[in-house]
Amino acid sequence: MYRTEDVLATLGMIRQHKLDVRTVTMGVDLQPCAAPDIVVLCAGIRERLLRFAGRLRAVCRDVEGRYGIPIVNRRIAVSPISTLATGHAADDYLTIAQTLDAVAAEVGVDLVGGFTALVQKGWTEGDRRLIAALPEVLSSTERVCASVNVGTTAAGINMDAIAALGHVLKDAAERTRPHDGFGCAKLVIFANAPTDNPFMAGAFHGIGEPDCVINIGVSGPGVVKAALEDLLAHAPTKPTLGDIAEEIKSTAFRVTRVGELIGREVATRLGVAFGIVDLSLAPTPQVGDSVGEILQAMGVVRIGAPGSTAALALLNDAVKKGGSFASSSVGGLSGAFVAVSEDAALAQAVAVGDLTLAKLEAMTAVCSVGLDMIAVPGDTDAETLAALIADEVAIGVINHKTTAVRIIPVPGKAAGEKAVFGGLFGEMVILPIHAAGGSTAFVRHGGRIPAPLSSLRN
Amino acid sequence: MHTYIVTVTAADRVGIVFSVAGTVRDQGGNILELSQTVMRGYFTIILAVAFDEAKSTRELADAIAERGRRFDLTVAVIEAKNEAREPAVPNGERFILTVLGADSPGNIHGIAGCLAAHGVNIVDLHARVDEARFSLVMEAFLPSDLAPSIVRSELERFGREHNLEAYVQHENIFLATSEPSPVRVGPGTRAQGDAGVPH
Repeated sequence: MYRTEDVLATLGMIRQHKLDVRTVTMGVDLQPCAAPDIVVLCAGIRERLLRFAGRLRAVCRDVEGRYGIPIVNRRIAVSPISTLATGHAADDYLTIAQTLDAVAAEVGVDLVGGFTALVQKGWTEGDRRLIAALPEVLSSTERVCASVNVGTTAAGINMDAIAALGHVLKDAAERTRPHDGFGCAKLVIFANAPTDNPFMAGAFHGIGEPDCVINIGVSGPGVVKAALEDLLAHAPTKPTLGDIAEEIKSTAFRVTRVGELIGREVATRLGVAFGIVDLSLAPTPQVGDSVGEILQAMGVVRIGAPGSTAALALLNDAVKKGGSFASSSVGGLSGAFVAVSEDAALAQAVAVGDLTLAKLEAMTAVCSVGLDMIAVPGDTDAETLAALIADEVAIGVINHKTTAVRIIPVPGKAAGEKAVFGGLFGEMVILPIHAAGGSTAFVRHGGRIPAPLSSLRN
Repeated sequence: MHTYIVTVTAADRVGIVFSVAGTVRDQGGNILELSQTVMRGYFTIILAVAFDEAKSTRELADAIAERGRRFDLTVAVIEAKNEAREPAVPNGERFILTVLGADSPGNIHGIAGCLAAHGVNIVDLHARVDEARFSLVMEAFLPSDLAPSIVRSELERFGREHNLEAYVQHENIFLATSEPSPVRVGPGTRAQGDAGVPH
């Protein structure tokens, strides 16, 4: 007999605290589809994705019904398109993106990631063509997500690519002006990009992965917050930060186990490999599903105040520890997301002026992912956007961790005005960039920032 | 070997298990399985007891009641039939059904009716009312050809009429979140009717 308390505790995580499987992401290697003829290549992509993902929607629905846990999104991540499309003409990149978009709709997934280039040490002609195609792809397709890895700890930082991406952001934002530059929300610029990340927009099926794999992204900010509130309300003595870390760990264990169960079941039913659980705390704009609210429950009432970085570090570390104990298959990003527009409490902290871009940058040094879903003034110049990217990438490269940038220069709007992206992407007051334009010359040097030293690490 | 099912009920007091087990031992029996609970001050125990020779069920019940006279035991003994060991739902899978909401007479009757109509076998059930708040958690075997969504929609229909929420979930999700052992998928391995070890 199961203890009633255990049953109700697990059920309570789902029905009251918004525990869900945020995404079942199927990774598919598209390299076998490579062909010099674009028609043949696209036909191969369609055939291969239908073969692997044709039953994904039905299987997810069955598994959802079996365990009574919501699977919010089904997604596909493909191998980096820049490699697959090498040798093709510039126009072909858009054709490939349109093919991905159409097949994603056909198999019932909301997003497909992998319109990706890995250019940390240098870029090929194919990489350059993919990056050049980004504004049109991001603005003319519905479901295609893109990412560019511009730095690694081993290779350094490709500043030429970053400079180009500053212009890509401006162009993509302008092409999606009626939607507050939303096209940029589908582009992630990475340092040390993971090859098995299931979360969009940065998911791609990396080198070294099998033909097809199921990766899971779970999410439970509401569960962690509820556990902390319960601890604080009922502990016999006032909990220390060590007690709080222990509570987060045990909650992360339960959340991770749900993800692994769902991932293994989906993979088994589809007859493909199970990859990893990414146990990131991914917020949604709903109240009660926020990483910011966890920080508030820990006592950082005004997010952005001194102590915010330390609290986030504690949270991020405890989540990783709980998840690592729960499963040997933890991967992806696995940490706390501070996606500003997608997190109601963080967006509110920006609106009242407590949370600044500088503080966000500091916080990203201790958590995943980086400067994520941040609206900046539309008149920000491309070099300043590039410099912002370079700063965040440098944090990742120097600290041997993944960082990423997803910033949206909102056309026609200034700091203090509101940008609205809708749905899970949320909304936020546009953050100012201090001393914008003050680093143009630095960006225009171009070249590569060398890889950091791996010894003398203090 | 002859096996008997013994049930004993009484107001809860210290020493009842000692008394019942002592009678079984003195009569030459061996307890194969035992489950005991106390509900609202009342003790209930059910035992499977094996004897080398056939016993009179009446004499065994009388012996247990006589030794436990000071507890005023209510005892029933029946002979275990082999066919009862056959699973009621062959190839079924164990699901946890949870129903929460407003208390009203007939809740359990209605829920059990929904399940019986679809061939669902209840193997463990705990329900209680706290300040007009009804909660029920049961383990039940669903036939292999019955989709959990059908049971869920039946219970939800009943729930809408009686202000109740209903959840139907395979047991593996509770194993995964409550135990550190490796996550498993697919059918459960515990047989129907086996007493699980509380954890």
